[in-house]
Amino acid sequence: MNLIPLLLYATAGVAYGVHFAKSQPSAGRTATTLLLFAVLAHTFVIGMQTMEMRLVPFANSSRAISVFVWLLTLSYLYLELTTDERAMGVFILPIVVGLQAIPTIYPGTEFSDPVLDSPWFWVHVSSLLFAYASFALAGVLGLTYVLQFKDIKKKHLGYLYTRLPSLQMLDTMNSRAVAVGWLFLTIGVIVGAVWTAQARSIAPDDSILQAMAFDDPKIFIALITWVVYSFAVISRQAMGWNGRRAAWVSAVGFAIVLLNFLPVSYFVTTSHTFY
Amino acid sequence: MHLFLLGVSHRTAPVDLRERLDFSSRNLGEAIDALAMRPSAAESVVVSTCNRSEIYVASDDPAKAREELVAFLSEYHQLPPETFLPHLFVKEDGAAAGHLFRVAAGLDSLVVGEPQILGQVKDAFQTAAERRAAGPLLSKLFHWSFNVGKRVRTETALGEGAVSISFAAVALARKIFGQLQGRRVLVVGAGEISTLTAQHLRSQGVGEIVITSRTLASAETLATAVGGRAVPWEQMTQALATADIVITATGSHRPIITQAQLAPSTGRRRSDPLFIIDIAVPRDVDPAVGEIEQVFLYNVDDLQGIVSENMTRRAGEIERAESIVGEELTRFSSWQRSRGAIPTVVALRQRFEAIRRSELQRLEGKLGALPPDARARVDEVTRLIVEKLLLEPTEQLKALPDEETQASYTEAVNRLFRLRPDDASEAPSGATTTPSNRRDK
Repeated sequence: MNLIPLLLYATAGVAYGVHFAKSQPSAGRTATTLLLFAVLAHTFVIGMQTMEMRLVPFANSSRAISVFVWLLTLSYLYLELTTDERAMGVFILPIVVGLQAIPTIYPGTEFSDPVLDSPWFWVHVSSLLFAYASFALAGVLGLTYVLQFKDIKKKHLGYLYTRLPSLQMLDTMNSRAVAVGWLFLTIGVIVGAVWTAQARSIAPDDSILQAMAFDDPKIFIALITWVVYSFAVISRQAMGWNGRRAAWVSAVGFAIVLLNFLPVSYFVTTSHTFY
Repeated sequence: MHLFLLGVSHRTAPVDLRERLDFSSRNLGEAIDALAMRPSAAESVVVSTCNRSEIYVASDDPAKAREELVAFLSEYHQLPPETFLPHLFVKEDGAAAGHLFRVAAGLDSLVVGEPQILGQVKDAFQTAAERRAAGPLLSKLFHWSFNVGKRVRTETALGEGAVSISFAAVALARKIFGQLQGRRVLVVGAGEISTLTAQHLRSQGVGEIVITSRTLASAETLATAVGGRAVPWEQMTQALATADIVITATGSHRPIITQAQLAPSTGRRRSDPLFIIDIAVPRDVDPAVGEIEQVFLYNVDDLQGIVSENMTRRAGEIERAESIVGEELTRFSSWQRSRGAIPTVVALRQRFEAIRRSELQRLEGKLGALPPDARARVDEVTRLIVEKLLLEPTEQLKALPDEETQASYTEAVNRLFRLRPDDASEAPSGATTTPSNRRDK
């Protein structure tokens, strides 16, 4: 079922590539239309699965990745439609397609756990997924900023220079994405902590729940992420760390997020897993 | 109806003559009204920019139109015809249309691909349209040319990249700062390019422009020219601290901006970028300044390099743009030819319709007995037969490949169906114009 959105995302990705390479506005509009269709199809798939299973759409890692991809695409589309700037699509879509391939190939097993049957769980996971989607956008914006910065600084005004947006615009978009992401990360972490405390008292025999603490790699890295992005927000306000420095901070932050989201979730975490 | 074009451009006339034949400085609408008084110009549009004055007319008699337009130019600008006759160019039909397409595409501009010309052509047409001087032929032609201009702009890179140092500097500033609104500019030393750059920046909506020079008087002159504020030379370091864009163009033999000078301001500036354009030769800015993290330092050679690269790129696009013009011209010409067939087509239809009506009238006695709906059916069926008979010949006539063929075909149709009133004289005596009448005899 995840195949249709994946194929649509891939086609949109190709269209963004053509738009980027040839600077044709018509190719850009086609790309946006394809991406809108892809996200609609994806919405339908997520909705169907949720109704069918009567489970939250992120009941396992694969499903969570699928929701993450969906949120990332939505955030990207929001950015594109508000700034009328399509050049970033060619950088975002490979991430979208690459990540969406995971739930398509490994759908994961469905399960039900009474502990997860809580509105807190919804808020916790959806806030974090949205935060990560924002950080992904910010990370890509940061990398493009660095590329564009280097080109202008080195007076190498070639292929990328003509196609990428201005430094100022990249920086503004980056700052917005980081701020939104940080807000949701904070909400997600607080709700997670509150919910764990509650769940512990409900299920005192659940060894996984009782083991949940800062020494779990996933929780530990999540806190590092929070520290990094808090630094990004504060340093921009208080120390004037904008532009290239902010770009690097958000790129590093996203690298940590990816590390936490993929390898750590699948292989390393000891307690923060339910299947 | 023929298209006729007469004018001067930067390719045919020197600037002083172009100035004297310029319409834009005077009231263009007035010129259009004066043109409308000339009988041979059924429709007219005047395109007048600093590089060209061109009059497009639709006329039945191009030779007469030429005569009248020369007289008009001479009277309107109060110049004897011999002063401008050797510099005039004249084009008809396809050549005139092709010329307008090339103009709208920016191919005929002094700086190939410059973007303003399309807007100027649109304005020229708008002025004529408001005064009802642009009829069906010129309206079609000009709208077609807007489309050509748009196609060339979107499908080729003819207009891309700045081709002057000052525009290259502005383009770079836009890549760094995005919108330039509110950005602070510091101009150090007055010169032609720095003035031009400051003016371009001003038109992009920058905030304050501060100007300093070793002699305050020349700074003040430049300040008035670009709408800036002059400050004494001693305040340059302070002005540097708050500037986003710095343009230097002094005649100094030693660098006047060094790393040390920028050091006190880097703290305050934090990581906000500083764009320095050093136009001076020898250079005004120590190259080491470019090593400061947030400083983008461009000298005149860097900018010249960008300009020549863009020029080469534009030149490479000319061929593609010309082929778009050629393509559109072929389509326009076939439209114009199809229009040439219209009088014949109309006459043919009228002839067939007359036959139908007269036949129906002849059968009135027999048809009168039919119920009304059956009569309506007969009317409908005969109409459809006539339409179907005419459909194919009409399409074929409109689609003929060139004017010569079209002329011989329309002549043949005219003769075969006796569409012209004077053809009647060639007919055998006693025959009347409608075949049905003849058959009645």
